Amino acid sequence: MSEQGIYGVMAEFDNPSALVSAARAARAKGYRKLDAYSPFPIEELTDALHLHKNKLPLIVLAGGVIGGLTGFFLQYWIAVIYFPINIAGRPLNSWPSFIIITFELTILFASLSAVLGMMALCGLPMPYHPVFNVPRFSAASRNRFFLCIEAADPLFDPAQTSQFLGTLEPTEVSEVAH
Amino acid sequence: MIAQATGFQVTDELRDTMRQWRTRFAVFGAVGVLATVAGLFLVSPNQFYRSWLWSYLFVVGLAAGSLAWLMVQYLTGGAWGVIIRRPAEAAARTLPLVLLLFIPIFIGIRNLYPWSHSDLVRADEFLRHKQPYLNVPFFTIRALIYLGGWCFLSWFFNRWSAIEDREGGQTPRRKMGALAGPGLIFFGLAVTFMATDWVLSIDPRWYSTMYGLLMIAGQALSSMAFLIAVIVFLAAHKPMVDVVTPRHLHDLGKLMFALVMLWAYFSFSQFLIIWAGNLPEEIPWYLVRLHGGWQWVGLAIVIGHFALPFALLLSRDLKRNFKLLRNIALFVLLMRVVDIYWEVAPDFLKGSFGLSWMDFTAVLGLVGIWLAYFLRQLEKRPLLPLHDPHLSEALEHGRE
Amino acid sequence: MADDQQIVVEKPAPGEIIAPGYTFSTITDQISSVVLTRKTPLFWFAAFGFGGSLLMLFLLAVTVLLAKGVGIWGIRTPVMWGFAITNFVWWIGIGHAGTLISAILLLLNQSWRNSINRFAEAMTLFAVACAGMFPLLHMGRPWLFYWMMPYPNTMGIEPQFRSPLVWDVFAVSTYATVSLLFWFVGLMPDLGTLRDRTKNPIGRAIYGILAMGWRGSARHWSVYETATLLLAGLATPLVLSVHTVVSFDFTIAIVPGWHSTFFPPYFVAGAIYSGFAMVLALAIPLRSVYGLQGLITDKHLDNCGKIMLATGWIVAYAYMLELFGAWYGGNTYEQAAFWHRMTGPYAIQYWSLVACNIVAPQFLWFKRVRSSPVLLFIASIVVLVGMWLERFMIIVSSLAQDFLPSSWGIFQATRWDWATYLGTIGLFLFLFFLFVRALPMISIFEVRTLLPQAKVSKEGKR
Repeated sequence: MSEQGIYGVMAEFDNPSALVSAARAARAKGYRKLDAYSPFPIEELTDALHLHKNKLPLIVLAGGVIGGLTGFFLQYWIAVIYFPINIAGRPLNSWPSFIIITFELTILFASLSAVLGMMALCGLPMPYHPVFNVPRFSAASRNRFFLCIEAADPLFDPAQTSQFLGTLEPTEVSEVAH
Repeated sequence: MIAQATGFQVTDELRDTMRQWRTRFAVFGAVGVLATVAGLFLVSPNQFYRSWLWSYLFVVGLAAGSLAWLMVQYLTGGAWGVIIRRPAEAAARTLPLVLLLFIPIFIGIRNLYPWSHSDLVRADEFLRHKQPYLNVPFFTIRALIYLGGWCFLSWFFNRWSAIEDREGGQTPRRKMGALAGPGLIFFGLAVTFMATDWVLSIDPRWYSTMYGLLMIAGQALSSMAFLIAVIVFLAAHKPMVDVVTPRHLHDLGKLMFALVMLWAYFSFSQFLIIWAGNLPEEIPWYLVRLHGGWQWVGLAIVIGHFALPFALLLSRDLKRNFKLLRNIALFVLLMRVVDIYWEVAPDFLKGSFGLSWMDFTAVLGLVGIWLAYFLRQLEKRPLLPLHDPHLSEALEHGRE
Repeated sequence: MADDQQIVVEKPAPGEIIAPGYTFSTITDQISSVVLTRKTPLFWFAAFGFGGSLLMLFLLAVTVLLAKGVGIWGIRTPVMWGFAITNFVWWIGIGHAGTLISAILLLLNQSWRNSINRFAEAMTLFAVACAGMFPLLHMGRPWLFYWMMPYPNTMGIEPQFRSPLVWDVFAVSTYATVSLLFWFVGLMPDLGTLRDRTKNPIGRAIYGILAMGWRGSARHWSVYETATLLLAGLATPLVLSVHTVVSFDFTIAIVPGWHSTFFPPYFVAGAIYSGFAMVLALAIPLRSVYGLQGLITDKHLDNCGKIMLATGWIVAYAYMLELFGAWYGGNTYEQAAFWHRMTGPYAIQYWSLVACNIVAPQFLWFKRVRSSPVLLFIASIVVLVGMWLERFMIIVSSLAQDFLPSSWGIFQATRWDWATYLGTIGLFLFLFFLFVRALPMISIFEVRTLLPQAKVSKEGKR
């Protein structure tokens, strides 16, 4: 439903509280396709934008379980089936000794899942994104806070949405080109 | 806040509930102790002292561990510390009772410890070597140092805490902070040597440098689980119902979780090193505990003392659920009892698993008496430290 | 909010972590200017040059080693581990404080860590790199390092999984990987800041590629925070496991003086002890050169000093218990091993380590010592030396005099031993100062959250 080839309309704020209230107001107004940008994580935004719990813990759990199983059975297979050898009379399945590598691979796989899962859920790396077309947006990584209502939102109308954002006491409202 | 105005005093309603519990515990405790003492004459003195010893170790863990948490929170600060301060102080005030409960062990030294028999010492080269350390007078003096030292620390902390409540100001807090560091060092050394004296010297040939740390972790875990159970109990009543938030419980739950892992880490490291070394002077300790029925107790400990609480406490929601967290804490306490039994009893019952009815009466009796005395101490003072510098932080914690 | 105001370095108000007067923009500018705009100070060139020269020495030592073999080191039967493993254990230990600060203190909600975690993590990474050099070079044929990994091969051999040396391979490589990931994930938002702030097109391209398109979206932050917490939760047991596995290298063997059950926590405590010493040894000069006293405040130094005191006491406890255990345990060889340490050929090293690790840190009880950067710096150097001596003592003295007096032998370090060791210090400094020059050494976005302005006011909350 994007109109006139713009990505959305963006309002700039100079403090986190204003951004959080603006995000709430936009949600209350019925906008759903919107995102906030801030130079540091703001706990209240998650709530204001109704961001659901993410699936990352599950991904990490799965990664950890796979890592642990890999770790143990790698050793079990080599020490018991593929290359059985008597070391100082220890049993072939010396499970107490195998726990260390099992543990290390659990952590390794879980951490890799955490980082790769985080990238995947965030859609990173992303070489291009329209919000960077707003010249002032570089301040989003410094000291400014932005709320962007996207053109994909069913209620979006360039003029009305800009006007609505203007009522939220922003320091500036601008259009985001594609 | 309403509760703040009343100074967090124990309300009449709460006092009545606490007194009901106190009566129950006292009756339980008296019956248990009397039954165990009856066993001393009816069954066997050896069994009496053994049951008393391991039950006593559990109770010592609750009282001394709480004292340690008290000192830790003076050093680190933080909201979790303010919430547990009064229950921990009350538990530390029970230490004189714990000192008295040591008397049966003192009487039973010859029933418990082979090094107290001079004929055995003469016949055994190892025991002769250890005699400068393992002898009755020095053993008694050391026990008095551990228990007396803890009573001494507890007396000072409680005294300054009372002064802080009455007068406020920075002075008591500064004193408590200054004593907490050396106090913790004393605690660590005392528990280490206590473990050597009271537990390891039952089998004087075996020694493990990890054992003291295991005992410290065990005591810290027991007392943290106990304090969580107390906080959840208090949180159901005024005045604490307005104070305790899920965030507080979350913090305490995290500490319990960390200790479950720490204990498992110590235990596994000790096991792996001894298993891999397989030396004749070390491995018997595990051989006894992994055969003749004891291996099932060991398995239960691996699951109940580590795997199950670990898996459950991973959940954030569970740590914030008062009832569930309390149930886990009580379960951990039960597993602590099982673990102590598994560590102490196999040395007496070499070969096969055994459990006497006196083991049950002794642990119920000692815990009952101790809990009754604890509740008596708990109701004496306001449930939150009124002038703790972190009090407002603690009250705000989790309700921004 | 007045942007770009002059910052006056003052003490932070009680309850606050950083000095008053900072704003989002001044924090951003002050930290990023070190990389982007400020003239590189002379100190940086001196330190980088010093590190670089030692790195040249390292390259020379490695070249000679590859040409002639490990015989250029002093390792002779029975002391085959010598300096190489001493340095390995020492460097790995130093790395541990970085993970501790970034992971454990994060889990404990200790927000003061926010201004020191970045460079501490970098320290971890470079310390692990230095540590890794030693087992690799010690193998004699480092180009065959992949033989340590289980892989299908025609030689008909596989790693022996009951050996702690194989555990080490897995533990250290996992640790290096996870530390790198954690560090990089932590850098992503700040790389975005540098991308947006730099005026240099090449710099923008590089920072831009590394930032991977980070744009500070609320959705990103929410996933990002979960990921950081999960990584911290994973890194915490990992860091404990690494030095535990290192301690297993000794305890699993039954050499006198090595086979003691409490080695795992004792090694971990020692690692944290030396790691915090290194954090202080780096932070104290850096903050005064770059004028960062408002961000890395005296309170940070005080806290690090306290942690050093606490871990120092755990180490002291270990020394005491080691002696008690040797006597009480009744094993003649154990007793002899400790007697040799105290009175034998390494007595000087033993008593110096007691002086460095136990006696000297007792001064940290005094607030006056903890609040003096100079004294703290001296204390950390003393502890670093002491911890190196401890590793040396454990490894060399136990190997030199074990069961059979007929096979005893004394270890003599050669100049190539020293060249390799000093060379890795060069490698460490070289990498570290490269990092200071090219990347923000303090986490910008995490320090922003320490500002009072970062808290959302009541009406924003509901």
